[in-house]
Amino acid sequence: MSEPPPAIAAEGLGRDYGGVRALDALNLVLPAGAVVGLLGPNGAGKTTAMLLLATLLSPTRGAARIFGHDVTRERAAVRRRLGLVFQETTVDGLLTVEENLLFAARLAGMDGRLARAAVGDAIERLGLAERARHAARQLSGGWRRLVDIARATLHQPDLLILDEPTVGLDPEHRERIWSILSQARQAGTTILFSTHYLTEAEPADRVILLARGKVVGDDPPELLRSAFGEEVAEIEGPGAQRLVRALRGLGAVKTILQTERGFRVGLTGEREPIVELAGAATGVNRLSLRPATLEDAYFARTQDGIQWAP
Amino acid sequence: MGALSAVHGIVARDLARTTRQTSRLLGGLARPFLWLLLVGTGYNAIARLEGGLSYQEFVFPGMVVMAALFGGMLTAISTVYDREFGMLRLMLASPAGVPAVLTGRALAATLVGLFQGGVVLAFAPLVLRVTALQMVQAIGALALAAAASGLLGLLVAARLRSVENFAGVINVVLFPLLFLSGALYPTAGMPPVFRAIARLNPVTYAVDLMRHALGQQGEFGTWEDAGALLAASGIAFLAAALLFDPEQRFVGRGPTGSAIEERPPASAG
Repeated sequence: MSEPPPAIAAEGLGRDYGGVRALDALNLVLPAGAVVGLLGPNGAGKTTAMLLLATLLSPTRGAARIFGHDVTRERAAVRRRLGLVFQETTVDGLLTVEENLLFAARLAGMDGRLARAAVGDAIERLGLAERARHAARQLSGGWRRLVDIARATLHQPDLLILDEPTVGLDPEHRERIWSILSQARQAGTTILFSTHYLTEAEPADRVILLARGKVVGDDPPELLRSAFGEEVAEIEGPGAQRLVRALRGLGAVKTILQTERGFRVGLTGEREPIVELAGAATGVNRLSLRPATLEDAYFARTQDGIQWAP
Repeated sequence: MGALSAVHGIVARDLARTTRQTSRLLGGLARPFLWLLLVGTGYNAIARLEGGLSYQEFVFPGMVVMAALFGGMLTAISTVYDREFGMLRLMLASPAGVPAVLTGRALAATLVGLFQGGVVLAFAPLVLRVTALQMVQAIGALALAAAASGLLGLLVAARLRSVENFAGVINVVLFPLLFLSGALYPTAGMPPVFRAIARLNPVTYAVDLMRHALGQQGEFGTWEDAGALLAASGIAFLAAALLFDPEQRFVGRGPTGSAIEERPPASAG
């Protein structure tokens, strides 16, 4: 028996807008059931990549297949497998929550009893029952986002593409959305999402870092973190540079990031000599040691003017 | 089946939106009645029309078409709101794609035009002497007029980029279509240039067909009118399909003129 095709297979996928190269060449193979975070600063190409994979933009170069279907030649087949959440909420304020979902169900090709059953299920799953008959314009941003998620998942897609699904939401709604997406993950749905809240990407199987249209990192979060350093020292003060040099001399430095306030240093090796050296340093106003985070890896690989010295 | 469901969804949504925008609906209906009552009464005193018709009798078929034209076209042109506020991309992400979106919008616009024109037509016995058969014929003519209006609206919406242009469209497209159609005054009295333009105007044939249906004398034959409307509708749909750019919401374009430049989505990350 042949293996099922990957959820996403992109090869050199790129898009230009006139003379601007928004996405250079995305190479990506995502197995079914994977959860992948797409991170990068504004203008890095995340939305473009997602719209290309969602068949809503045509690529300038390269190709991509979703569950074996070509994104330019087999758009309808791709769309049947896909649930999409756009960066801005896509809810019609004049319709009720239920009508919005019924509209989405019909767009997905369902009608009659099948559509009503899918809408009823989504309303229950997302906890929207109390608001089902409310006009969508009466909902807060968080509830509108939940309607968006209900809309994108009601036809039980195999692949969910979510462009900053939690942007601008309070922690309660963010938590709720990630718990719903975690249920989808457990049900085997492949999830590709972008976010500026880097902690949200920590549970992902893989994180792809984009900067200026190029992939600058593609690894599981723990590998990205450990590539930065086993621990991170944040050093501020007039003597910070001297201490960084001394740490480097000790062979304890994996990465150095120059920040606006000082240095963020990814460390490796024995902890004791590092602590001793740091303790003896002068002119250091602040020194803290902490585990490496995804944010360290993000800044190291995506920002201009910051040293990245692996 | 999937495409039919998508069309059903789009039509149901548009109709629900129309019934909830009561001020727009009532405004659309008020326009022909105001013309009939205020302008019609005034012109009755000064207008001398062939066949001994009063101005209100003469203008009534045009008012039915006017209601259908505004209802149908504005509903179709509201596609630009959907483009601006993101609902269009939701429809475009449907497996049924662009053809279902265009068909659904055209059908919804036709139904809205049919409803608005139908309300005006229902008052025909108060203005004209009409038989039941003429009313049935008028409903047929109205259906064709509404369909043509919806499809012309779709054609306008295909390239309309922002809601700011909406008022401009009413002034530059809708009013000229109406004024150069023979709805408000006979085309026979117009200068030759305007008469020639009127002959190219699909609304002229909708008004003429409505005149025939309501027992008035028309300028062209019934089949000529119906044929012209069907042809205009078909051409408008094909042109809208060709001009409709599904990427327009995502790809911003340069301001005007030849220096068209693509740029990344404004919200792009």
